[in-house]
Order: sequence, then C-alpha cells, then structure tokens
Amino acid sequence: MGTEQVAAAQPLLIGVLLLWSSYGKFKNPQQADRTALPRLVGDSRAKSAYLAVAALEALIALGLLAPPFTAIEAVAAAALGLGFTGFLIYSKIVVPEASCGCAGKSAKPVGYRAIARALLLLATAVLATTATGGWWSAGLALVVLVAEAAVFVMLSAELDRYWLLPIRRFRTRLSHPYAGTASSTPPLAATQRRVLLSPAYRAVDGMLRSDIHDYWDDEDWRYLSYIARYDGRRATAVFAVPHQDSTPESVRVAVVDETSGLTLYRPTVLATA
Amino acid sequence: MTTTMDRRSLLSRAALGATGLVAASALGSLAPETAFAAGAQFADAGQPDPNFAEGLITGRNQDLLQVQGSDGRLHRIQLTGVTSVWKLRPTTIDQAKIGDGLYARGVLLPDGVLAAEAVWVNIVNLTVAITSIARSGVQFDHHGQKVVGHVQAGTTAAVYNGTPAVSDLSMLKVGRHAQVIGAWRPGTNEIDIATIYTSN
Repeated sequence: MGTEQVAAAQPLLIGVLLLWSSYGKFKNPQQADRTALPRLVGDSRAKSAYLAVAALEALIALGLLAPPFTAIEAVAAAALGLGFTGFLIYSKIVVPEASCGCAGKSAKPVGYRAIARALLLLATAVLATTATGGWWSAGLALVVLVAEAAVFVMLSAELDRYWLLPIRRFRTRLSHPYAGTASSTPPLAATQRRVLLSPAYRAVDGMLRSDIHDYWDDEDWRYLSYIARYDGRRATAVFAVPHQDSTPESVRVAVVDETSGLTLYRPTVLATA
Repeated sequence: MTTTMDRRSLLSRAALGATGLVAASALGSLAPETAFAAGAQFADAGQPDPNFAEGLITGRNQDLLQVQGSDGRLHRIQLTGVTSVWKLRPTTIDQAKIGDGLYARGVLLPDGVLAAEAVWVNIVNLTVAITSIARSGVQFDHHGQKVVGHVQAGTTAAVYNGTPAVSDLSMLKVGRHAQVIGAWRPGTNEIDIATIYTSN
C-alpha cells in the first residue's frame, strides 16, 4: 500500500465530509446569520451565499464520490478547503463571536479546532490531487481513512456530544471530583429560601430595604439580618431559623432599633396560610 | 470585632423573643415629614429608575464609588454601614473594588449620590450546559461561550430539581443544563459559583 493508493482513497473521505457539511447547511440555512457571512457579503445576501456554498460542496462531493475519476475534482476540493481555511481565519479575526457554520447548528465561535479541521481538509484534498485513480481502486489504503475520519470527528465541535461528553460523564461516574462536598451545615441559599417562604417574612416583607446584611450561626439557630425601615426610621430585621425544625412557622423575626437596642416589632401569632 | 459580637447577640436575643417590646412612638417624633424625608423617589414613566444603578466601578474614594453605567451614565454610589453587599456571599462594604461590576439599589439623594441600601457585586445569572467537571472547576457552555465555574467550599450550593439547596455537588452531571448564580471574576471568563440549579 503506497502513497499512490492512500492519495487515491482520499476523495471518499472528502466526499462524505462535504456531503455531511452540505446537508447541515441545507437543513439549517438560518445558521448563516450566526457566521461571519453577513459581515462579509452583507446581511441580505448571507443566506444565499451560505446555500451557494452548500450547493458547491454537494456538487464537488458527488463529483469526487461518483465515477469517472478526474483530477479536476480534487483540485476543486482543495480550492474549497483553502477557501474555508481563509474564511475561518477571517471570522476569528474580524468577527470573533461568529460561529463556524461548518456543518449546521452550533453556536460555538470559530476555534482552533475548526481551523485545524479546514486545514486537514485542505491537506487531504492536496494529497488527492496527486492520485491517478478513483477511490474504488485504492484497495487496502481505505483503512487509513478510518484514522483520518477519527481525527475529523475529534476536531468537530458539533460531534462532541456523541463521544466527548459520554467519556467525561463516564469519568465522573467512576470518581466524581466533588464527591466530598456534602456537609451537615445547610448552605445560606437553603436558609434564605426557608425565610422567603415563611409567614415571618410575609409579616415584615414591606419593611425590608436591603438584601441579607449579615448572617451567623449560634447553637441551634441560624440568624439572618436585613436593614429595614419601621415607621420612618432605620431598623434591623433579624430572622431566626432553627436547624432542627424545618416547618415554615418555626422561623421567627424581630425588628430592632440598633441604636437603642429596643425591639420595635415582633409578630407573635403568624398566619399559616 | 466585639461590636459585631455584641450586635449579633442583641439581634439574636431579639429574634428569639428574649427582649422587651416597645412601641415605636416611644422613641420620638413620628411626624410624616420625618418619616418620608429620606424616602425613595418614584420613577417617572419612560425614565430610568432613579433608585437603581449598574455599571463598572471606576473609582473609589473611601466609601463613595464612581460607577460607569453600561448605558454611559455615570453614577456616584455611597456605601454605608447599613448597605448590604453581596459578592458571592453577603459580605462587607470594603469588598467593592475598582474594576468590579455592580448593581445597586437605594435612595437617590438631592446631590445626585445614590445612598445604596443593597449592592450586588459581579453577580451573574447564566443559563448553561455543563461540559466538563474537574477538581479545578466546572466548565460551562454558555450559548457557545466557554465559562469556567469555580467551586468555593462552604459557599457553593446546588439545587437539584427545585429541592432545597445542599452543599453536595456530587450529583452534577456532564451534559446537563443548569442555571448558575455566581460572581464574575473581572476580566476573565471565570466565575465563582454561588448556587447552581440543575437536574439529577
């Protein structure tokens, strides 16, 4: 299996890739707006330019895949690869937030993987121009395509969820990086939610002026203080949330004047509605 | 520190009902003009809310912040001992630093300074997909952009399927969608996670 056969095999891979990317473009033509095309050819022409590229891809792909063999198809693919690479580099520099739009739906901005993939397409197309026969004459060299295809898959952000995410999911299942984070002290977010859902909060809600001002734990209780306004003067509303009792009625509240230390308001019988 | 302790113990006792209750009128005048002197102004229709400000802190003179709003307006925001400051967790007013982003709510004083009652520093609310979980951080895909979320032991909480928040993050799964409340690290694509809402 010489370079000759490997070169001859390339059109099969290039053809399949171009068909896939052309299909993606035809299926989601509105993706054009997310690419750098509107900037390059104008908003009104972006979609037609996108579809024109898709049609060109399909044409070259079918030319490469179907007999008879002609070298001009590989040259066209190489030109297309060069165009893609140039366009992606342009996108990255001029419109960094633009997505690649390479093979349909993806909001990911153009990254080095997309550019590497275009370069790989260019390289395989250049190799294909040296071929002297069609891919059906490549024989065992087709095996090389498996490795090349794997590299293409790895460079395709669109396909991550089919192989990369499952691998990562499996890895976290074996050993989760945050396995030891459970603790018996409830997080503040949990206490805040209990306060918000309590009758005590409803009793003083209209007086509160700030977000949580201070919080502390003391024995069986967690306290949360808010700055409040009571009868036109500054006050502090302090909630006491028991660690043990989780019913909404167990939350207590008092409105305190901190300068005098006096309690201004403390609802005694709280509605349980 | 002792004052904080005294303060907390006074408030604790009050909340538990161990102190006496007084009528507010015993403390002095309740004339309407006193009550409403520092009251909030109301927004005019179609005008920005005078009692709210947002932007990046560009200067700080003791507790007076200079803030450049994202709409180009400049704000002066006064922090006081009665301002609540959130920066990943409720914290103290010295944590609002130059370069931080903030949202502030308070009362607009006649001299144009906003006397802040509540300030949220660097707070972000993101809808994301979890793309990777590692000890060094959780990677998120935020509508195509990569965001790294850092877990802060003792602060970061998770809410699974809407149940009460827990500190156990071991049920986070790669590929799941999540909503994250966190504190942005200025100038980076990194955040510290306050609460992550997801499914398990």
